[in-house]
Amino acid sequence: MRDDLQPGNRLPDLELRDHAGNERRLSELAGGDPVVLTFYRGWWCPKEQSFFRRLVGFQDEVEVAYTRMVSISVDPPEVQAAFRAGLGARWTFLSDAERRYVHELDLLETTDTLHRPYVPTAFTLFPDLAICGVWNGYWTWGRPSLEELRRDLREITRAIRRDWEVPSA
Amino acid sequence: MTWCWLARTEERPEGALAAARIRFDGFLAVFPADAPAPPGERKLDARAIDPDGPAALVSLVLVPDDLTIPFDDPAVSGALRASLTAPWPDVLSTLVVGESRFGGALTAVRDGNRSRLDADPFARIFPARILELGPGLLGWTPPPTGPVVQRYGGGEPWPSDRFVESRSGNPSAAGH
Repeated sequence: MRDDLQPGNRLPDLELRDHAGNERRLSELAGGDPVVLTFYRGWWCPKEQSFFRRLVGFQDEVEVAYTRMVSISVDPPEVQAAFRAGLGARWTFLSDAERRYVHELDLLETTDTLHRPYVPTAFTLFPDLAICGVWNGYWTWGRPSLEELRRDLREITRAIRRDWEVPSA
Repeated sequence: MTWCWLARTEERPEGALAAARIRFDGFLAVFPADAPAPPGERKLDARAIDPDGPAALVSLVLVPDDLTIPFDDPAVSGALRASLTAPWPDVLSTLVVGESRFGGALTAVRDGNRSRLDADPFARIFPARILELGPGLLGWTPPPTGPVVQRYGGGEPWPSDRFVESRSGNPSAAGH
């Protein structure tokens, strides 16, 4: 992974097609909200299937918490759309089938010469794409627990919402 | 502007931001947020509007004026979830009445494929009418990032997807 992809630094504003083929920009997808961004190997990986089932459960919390979720892989959009539908995911998947960013971010999983996928990596991001947390999920236990995601999302939300403390009457 | 008034009219209205003819049934028109509220007082996501937009097939769900339901009703939340799961149409906006009432939904496709409207999740709440709408009203609503199904502030339609500080002076008023 690129050395500067660390907390406090900003992730590049990636431009990719979403699972429906629309051109999207990460900053636009973030809007003014915190983001959980996951790079994943592909639909075929059982570790990803397990991790994404947990994220699908997590989306029931996220849906009422003004927080966005975005997932990126080298799968084509139509494959991502099928994976997303199969999971019941309700967030945006981005396709880097051309591998435009896998080298720029130094996130190529070099040990898989067949799929040449992204190394599973999770970020929590501020709305301006500044990195709050980062997890290297090459090994399954390197991935964030939902509790770790909650902790980061609380930190980000507290920092960006001026009314985190209930306004006095 | 994040929203505008939506109304059906018999004639092409004066003062509308945009209007398009409904086949055999008058016009569908939108008015600026600071204009007098039209009958029904339904607010539409302003991003759905393009005065240069092409013709479209519309699935229009209108809750009867005397029967609006809370936007946070589980039936509405379920429809929002279903819309995030399904392929996104070319245009989708819920219709809001007042600060917190669900007034219906407008879903549109521009390729003439009526089957794309068959599964309109909002039609499970109240019946939908399919309208053949001429050009001059609807543009494109970008798919929301997901999975948020909450509105960004009182009185705002969904999926209008960020807090607007200038209207309330508070970026997350009625949020949380």
